[in-house]
Amino acid sequence: MPELRARLFAPARDPLWGAVTALVVSLLVSFVAIAATGRDAMAGFGDLLSGAFGGPGPLGETAIKAAVLTLTGLSVAVAFTVGLFNIGAEGQLVWGALAAAVIGRFDVPGAMLLALAGAALGGGSWGLLAGWLKVRRGVHEVISTILLNWVAFHVVHGWLVPGPLAAAGSGAEVSVAGTEAISRAAWLPRLLSGSRLDLGFPLALGVAAAVWFLLTRTRRGFEWRAAGAGRAAAFASGIPVGRRICEAMALSGGLAGLAGALLILGTEHKYPGVFRTGYGFDGIAVALVGGGSAAGTLVSAIVFGALRAGATRLQLIGIHPSFAELTQGLAVLLVAAPGMFRPLFARLRGRAAEGLVPAEPP
Amino acid sequence: MNALELSGIVKRFGGVPAVQGVSLEVAPGEVLGVVGENGAGKSTMISVACGLYRADAGTVRAFGRELPPGDPRAAIDAGIGAVYQHFMLVGPLTVWENVVLGREPRRLGLIDRGRARREVSEAAARFGLAVDVDARVETLGVAAQQRVEIVKQLWRGAQVLILDEPTAVLSPLESAVLLQTVRVLAGSGRAVIFVSHKLREVLGVADRIAVLRRGRLVQVTRRGETAAPQLADAIMGGASPVAPPTQQPPPRPGGFGVLLQATDVTCLSDCGRPALRGLSFQLGRGEILGIAGVDGNGQTELAEVLTGLRPATGVLALGGEAGFHRTPASARRAGVAHLPEDRQRRGLCLPLSVEENLALGHHRAAPYARGARIDRTGRREKAREMIASFDVRPPDPLARAGDLSGGNQQKLVAARELAGGPPPRMVVAVHPTRGLDPGATRRVHEALRAARDSGAGVLLVSLDLDELRAVAGRILVLFEGRASGETLPDAGDESLGRMMLGQAAAGA
Amino acid sequence: MNLVLDFAPPLVFAALGGVLSERAGVVNIGLEGMMRFGAFAAAAGSILSGSPWIGLACGALAGAAAAGVHALLSLRFRADQVVSGIALNLVALGLVTYLLQSLFGSSGVSPPAPALPRDRFGHSALSYAALAVPVLFHLWLSRAPSGLRVRAVGEHPRTAATLGVRVLRLRAICVLCSGALAGVGGATLSVGILGQFDARMPAGQGFMALAAMVFGKWTPLGAAAAAFFFAAADAAQRQLSFSLHAADLRLDGLFLALPYALTLVVLALGLGRTRAPAANGVPYDPEGRD
Repeated sequence: MPELRARLFAPARDPLWGAVTALVVSLLVSFVAIAATGRDAMAGFGDLLSGAFGGPGPLGETAIKAAVLTLTGLSVAVAFTVGLFNIGAEGQLVWGALAAAVIGRFDVPGAMLLALAGAALGGGSWGLLAGWLKVRRGVHEVISTILLNWVAFHVVHGWLVPGPLAAAGSGAEVSVAGTEAISRAAWLPRLLSGSRLDLGFPLALGVAAAVWFLLTRTRRGFEWRAAGAGRAAAFASGIPVGRRICEAMALSGGLAGLAGALLILGTEHKYPGVFRTGYGFDGIAVALVGGGSAAGTLVSAIVFGALRAGATRLQLIGIHPSFAELTQGLAVLLVAAPGMFRPLFARLRGRAAEGLVPAEPP
Repeated sequence: MNALELSGIVKRFGGVPAVQGVSLEVAPGEVLGVVGENGAGKSTMISVACGLYRADAGTVRAFGRELPPGDPRAAIDAGIGAVYQHFMLVGPLTVWENVVLGREPRRLGLIDRGRARREVSEAAARFGLAVDVDARVETLGVAAQQRVEIVKQLWRGAQVLILDEPTAVLSPLESAVLLQTVRVLAGSGRAVIFVSHKLREVLGVADRIAVLRRGRLVQVTRRGETAAPQLADAIMGGASPVAPPTQQPPPRPGGFGVLLQATDVTCLSDCGRPALRGLSFQLGRGEILGIAGVDGNGQTELAEVLTGLRPATGVLALGGEAGFHRTPASARRAGVAHLPEDRQRRGLCLPLSVEENLALGHHRAAPYARGARIDRTGRREKAREMIASFDVRPPDPLARAGDLSGGNQQKLVAARELAGGPPPRMVVAVHPTRGLDPGATRRVHEALRAARDSGAGVLLVSLDLDELRAVAGRILVLFEGRASGETLPDAGDESLGRMMLGQAAAGA
Repeated sequence: MNLVLDFAPPLVFAALGGVLSERAGVVNIGLEGMMRFGAFAAAAGSILSGSPWIGLACGALAGAAAAGVHALLSLRFRADQVVSGIALNLVALGLVTYLLQSLFGSSGVSPPAPALPRDRFGHSALSYAALAVPVLFHLWLSRAPSGLRVRAVGEHPRTAATLGVRVLRLRAICVLCSGALAGVGGATLSVGILGQFDARMPAGQGFMALAAMVFGKWTPLGAAAAAFFFAAADAAQRQLSFSLHAADLRLDGLFLALPYALTLVVLALGLGRTRAPAANGVPYDPEGRD
């Protein structure tokens, strides 16, 4: 079984070497790239750090992004647990965000909770659909979730938001205005003055802990892991594998939906006409770099969140914010090939690296 | 001059020596038998000879010329051809495509189909091997596929033919045909290396016999200088093999009362063809019923029907409760334990730990769980117990199941199925000792006997007649999805062989 | 019909790239990224050299180079092939945006790039190539010795190895060519159709190509036919949407979603499902003990 996926199920013995190394190395490479273009890398690093952690404002930005990434990362990680690759977190997030935006319009006590619940349901159904297609119709989830993403984008951004759900009286600017604003009762409360840090981050932390508990400490979580680690054996042992896969995909979608809710209820306060999507795909990177564990996902989410928050500052020295995406991609690339690190670690531990990387026949 | 000469071959895998300083030679027209138990190094030697592995030391010489190590192409060019236990055929391709792959006759840059098909047919005919050159290999039966493998080597001009456990999957009649083919090949001047653990066959066909044990060459004798008991001793190194059946209390055929009554069971195979056609039999409590038959006559499907993995029609009554199990979960609830044929795929979740695999199937109840939560200490304790009593190595509950050897993996499955939860009422074991060394085989047989002694009914499906004779109290032979005969374990090869081919002998 | 012949080629080439890689046994989710590199490189090459043909060559090379990384990870380091492909897509996303900014100072579109010449029907050479290449590919796969070997390597690499076929080398070549094809697909977008690079390219077409490949049961003719079908559906949708717009009905989104939804339905109905090549996605270990 390919290294990475096997690691997802392995009894937790190895520390997060792969993830940490990948993150460090990719940051280094990125900074070398900056220096190579003649700009001041140290200043850039400084800007990045201050943009991420320098004061309540930046901390808030980092926390917001980290919270969303944690949830989408967990979404992908949960799907990994049953052996599925959820590329559809993006589309599930969109539905969750829309649900939150619509439910959040009602000015009732508990609107926030209702909106969160609705978002989880919305995203969850989209995830369940992909799971059902896989289990009952054998449609590979990579293909189906990608297609479902496009359907979600087009239906929501291309029809629902500019059409039936558009804010009244926006007239010609309908494509920019988005939906009606949500009521005050649905807002995620801000926690730190001078920043946009809101309930989202603690919420994400709580969810991460709950997911960890579910996957490692409950019977259901064990069955999910068995289904992902050896579907035939799990089935032969009596586990209803099909049902478990659908459950996991529903949770996976629900988590992504929650991520969408966080964006709407915490920052945007309506479904905007132009919605920056990308957190769903980033979730994939977060989960991969985190090795599929809840803890690893959290750590990666914070690092990537900080990267994104800080990257906007980099523009001050003329570096395009896409730098963050680049670093992220590099980290995933490095994590995808743990075999590259094995010889290094083996040498460090003083063992011969013989036999770990096979020689090709001539 | 020797057709093939291996001198001083040493090969290690990750520090563990598989072959240590072995030298073998075979002359043209000679048949060399190579015997030894699993793990003795036979397969490794073959792979080195064919250039698939690079030996850490030693040389391979074909007709006097030294071959570059680790170069399969050079070995093929030098005339060395091998037919392995697991066939090296590409299913969706046709017979002729499989034979010419890698050395395709060409015309104008494309494959010359006409010539290819003609040459393959001719090569097959010359040695009396019946093959349909246009058939897709995945549609052929095992014996036919083996013929394709042999034609493949012969078409490439193999002068040295290495056969690795060729009769493991053949019926007695098909084996006889193969041995005849071996004589024809030797008669045509080719050298044949016949690797097998079936001593009687080797003694019947080989001119010389080499014995490997733990990676070393122990002896080489000519035919006539030795006999089966002496060879067995040399293979085992004097350690006493499986406890002879006579030391066990004689099993009572039919057990103590009927546990399972199957009447007119019918089901389809994966390809949609009939696999079981109205099979009827009984399994008693406290007995081991052996299921014999050439692979592909319904044994696999029978095991799946009994364990809830395959739908079937007919009448099935387990302990008085009538009805088939539609899911593995319901079979398990009814007390059916399953040691599956494909232990790596169906028996274990390889990436999970030993402890987690031991919990599979029983994980919802104590001592593995408390309510909806996993009881980690309980599970760990229970795992240690089972590891100890079944001698699973390494005795580490957190070891990854995929890292264990085949024998230990099977012990793991046996431990879980037989001792992981409440004692099973019925045990369905399919090829449980395939590929296992004698020690692990012994342990598994002990476990099956223990299950029988505590009153369970055990269904043992096996291709190894010796195993069935040693362990089972009765043997039922399947042919084309029906029972073609039933005997006691003392039945001879010919009567069993005839039943396996559908020519029923008088029922015992 | 004209529209289809123009919009299909990117999808066709990319889908063929997918087929080539996967028939050899290497999963290639990175088509999207390879197309992106190809599209950008083609535009840049065309702008800098003034010749769209050079641009096209650059596009193919860029796609192949990206595929080279995927090959390195998947074949040499036996990484998970899906992860490697996704990583490639992520890197392509960021890197190309970055290059667009650094080279052309833009975050939207590149300067206009000299585009491929069109004949009197309005089609470039690539449109015709999109009709011919699938057929040639099919003939090669079924009739040529290397085609037979590729098929063997994708189903049962160990068998091919015992017969002297160099599995890893063959797979690597297939992956590189797969990238080149995807690169050409991307190049078609920037240098064949639009005449410039748009930061959003290829806007999901790499994934559509994957769907076409699955739809076409991993055969060159099937994948190409599926690609043409998707392009036709897209074109039909555009016509429909245009007339609906005229009636001031804001239903764009629904129609844009239609081709994707349709694909899902077809896949869900599982019309004549065949499986992927047996060894697809399984890293090959030359000294593995089976």
